[in-house]
Amino acid sequence: MRYLLQVNGGPREVDVPAGTPLLAVLRDTLGLTGARFGCGHGACGACVVLAEGAPIPACTTAVEDVAGRAIVTIEGLARGDELHPVQRAFLQEGALQCGYCTSGMILAGAALLQRVPSPSEDQIREALAPHLCRCGVYLRAIRAIQRAAR
Amino acid sequence: MSRVEERLRFEIDGSVTALSGKMEYGQGLRAAYPRIVAEELGIAPSRVRVVLGDTDVVPWDMGTFGSMSVEMDGRELRRAAAFARSELLARAASRLATQATELDIEDGAVTSRLDGRTLTFTQLVAGEPVTGEVPEDVPLAVPTPTCPDGPADSVDLVTGRAQFVADVRLPGMLHGRVLHPAVHGARLRSVDRDAALAEAGVVAVVVEGDFAGVVAERHGQALRALRAQQPQWDPPLPPQAPGTDAVLRSDAGVDEAFGGAATRIAARYFTPHVASAPIGPSVGVADVRADEAFVYGSTQVPFGLRDAVAAIAKLPVERVHFRPRAMSGGYGRHGSSDAALEAARLSAAVRRPVLVQWSRADELHGAPHRAQMEAAMEGGVDATGRIVAWRSEISTNPYGYAGAAAARSAPARPARPAAMGRAGGWDPTQMVAMMAGRNAVPPYELGAAEVRLHVTPGRVRTGALRSLGASPNVFAIESFVDELARAASVDPFELRLRHTSDARLRRVLEVVRERSGWAHARRGQGRGVGVACVVYRATYVAEVVEVSVAADGEVRLERVWCAVDAGHIVHPDGARNQVEGAVQMAASWTLIEELPHRDGEVLGETWEDYPIATFRDAPRAIDVVFTGDDRTPSSGLGEPPAVPTGPAIANAVFDACGARVRRLPIRAAAVRRALTGG
Repeated sequence: MRYLLQVNGGPREVDVPAGTPLLAVLRDTLGLTGARFGCGHGACGACVVLAEGAPIPACTTAVEDVAGRAIVTIEGLARGDELHPVQRAFLQEGALQCGYCTSGMILAGAALLQRVPSPSEDQIREALAPHLCRCGVYLRAIRAIQRAAR
Repeated sequence: MSRVEERLRFEIDGSVTALSGKMEYGQGLRAAYPRIVAEELGIAPSRVRVVLGDTDVVPWDMGTFGSMSVEMDGRELRRAAAFARSELLARAASRLATQATELDIEDGAVTSRLDGRTLTFTQLVAGEPVTGEVPEDVPLAVPTPTCPDGPADSVDLVTGRAQFVADVRLPGMLHGRVLHPAVHGARLRSVDRDAALAEAGVVAVVVEGDFAGVVAERHGQALRALRAQQPQWDPPLPPQAPGTDAVLRSDAGVDEAFGGAATRIAARYFTPHVASAPIGPSVGVADVRADEAFVYGSTQVPFGLRDAVAAIAKLPVERVHFRPRAMSGGYGRHGSSDAALEAARLSAAVRRPVLVQWSRADELHGAPHRAQMEAAMEGGVDATGRIVAWRSEISTNPYGYAGAAAARSAPARPARPAAMGRAGGWDPTQMVAMMAGRNAVPPYELGAAEVRLHVTPGRVRTGALRSLGASPNVFAIESFVDELARAASVDPFELRLRHTSDARLRRVLEVVRERSGWAHARRGQGRGVGVACVVYRATYVAEVVEVSVAADGEVRLERVWCAVDAGHIVHPDGARNQVEGAVQMAASWTLIEELPHRDGEVLGETWEDYPIATFRDAPRAIDVVFTGDDRTPSSGLGEPPAVPTGPAIANAVFDACGARVRRLPIRAAAVRRALTGG
């Protein structure tokens, strides 16, 4: 089946079977590997992308459900060489170790700040709760999002 | 002994390339190693490029584990850089016709203090690379923390550009999947090969002994073919390897010492199997050709993987090329390169590149998990509050590579057992003492003590997880020391300090007591503080935690204070990150985690079945202070700070509500049981 997607501001036509997970389309068809495979059941946040500004797990989202909706992946967050404030803040706070969960966390943080420009610490914890990090950078990620909000 | 050219290359543009066989997966080696080389050479860390784990160019390495990367390989890089520095100074002295003592080395150049004449590194090495054996006694610069913390070298990780193993895309690459039984060691009775072959896109079905895999054009097709195989399994054979016992300490007169004790208590502790639970499951890509092979994989043992792939592909090791890529943290799990080995077997069968991505269920069923541990502790305190008698008997499973379960897909006879490496031939008692028995002997000056260890293979596959046996062992020791302190009515800090004259241990304890405000902490009514400490190899850690315990027994970790002496700290913010992360991970396995299993079958396939700590569970703050001396050589930081967190939490829970939980995890029900004496 052919689907017309809007990815990182541009139209992308893909030809994949109905029901193909968005994550497979991004990673295997479009070569956008910044969304990571973590669990395949929408429980870890490593594959999160934004659909119309809201975080969604790409692994449990079928391609047909996002056709025509604006998708933003981690590759589309910076403007050219200028990093998004949340990306910059993650670097400044050293808010990562292995970096496998980082794409999803940054997108969720950016979506939160779009909705709530000055979130409380507890609001950040709630918004980021779907994102697991085994390296344990939770406090640094909270500080990074607080920094980006300033 | 190493040669400088195996470690450092001076490039024509004035930069320096540092070579190491270690792998980076979040420990911060890419930030630490340039700083180590920069400190010795007097250049900016940004001018040092690091090549890690590329088996074609880096010196042979046993593997990345044991918190040894900065301590040992960092020391090798430091020594190589120090030797290069003396070589560069000698060359400059000769060319400028002066004494090396009249020269300064700074910012990539050597300058004469007498007349300001300068030679750059580029000029000094042009046509004459720096080579030679690094002498054992090469003088080192006194390291000073002069390198400011720049942003982490992680831009590619925040933009999504970083290429992880799972992102490798080779021309003609196929997708493979291999069956993993939920029962470790189950033997494959039958598979429906035809049904798998009939699925769309299937290129091959590979069945060899207990190994059954499929290869297809697309990942979804491989998954359907895998399911179509409908495997039947026979139960595993009883374990072949017998147990190994080790006596870790055996003083004369233990019974007599107990006889003379004023207070004598005994307790049993238990820690369950815990999953390493990496966010990115094991993954590998292999391209096995007739005359050479390329392999990419999540691994801590690039040379071990290379050698195993050579055995699978029946190629000499120098025809196998391991290509390092970014990888998910593994915390010991990637000591077993499961998916890459499977990819190699499948690629060898189809002679095309194959990517194997493990699922979350594969990871729970097939990955090595932390050993279970049961400890029977007995202690005696005299009337003056001194511990005069100590006995502990620990039963657990193997951790490392001696007797621990190898990957299902490993070649029958690996060319070189990864962890033993070139040392080879270590005796099994020594191996279990070092791994399962790690930190089983308390760091205190005790009276008469006896510590015995029994290591037997479990039914669940076991392997390395951050700190090996140290975290379970120290959970028992430091909880029990707290119980002894209570029994003898002595403050837990005071009891510990009374039993050590080690200045570094005393200092981390004193510093963390001060910073945590121990003397004025809120105690009782569901609020409590606890302390624990460890001397892990050459690193000293003391931690205080504050917890709250709700009426239903639910424990919340509120705050953590850590004092750490790891000698000279190369990269302070990276080091703090390691401490915070280790504490966070250990808090998770202490309060939440237990691998569900029954009769050797791992139950569960998802994060719902095996939850870990989330943003909601993270403490409010983790305070980290380094107490070490810059003249003391750097020691490891990846594992040690994880070790005291569990017992500190257990001790704080007792402080808060009087519940002594001796069995992890400390979930609400465990606290309620401890309170009702159940």
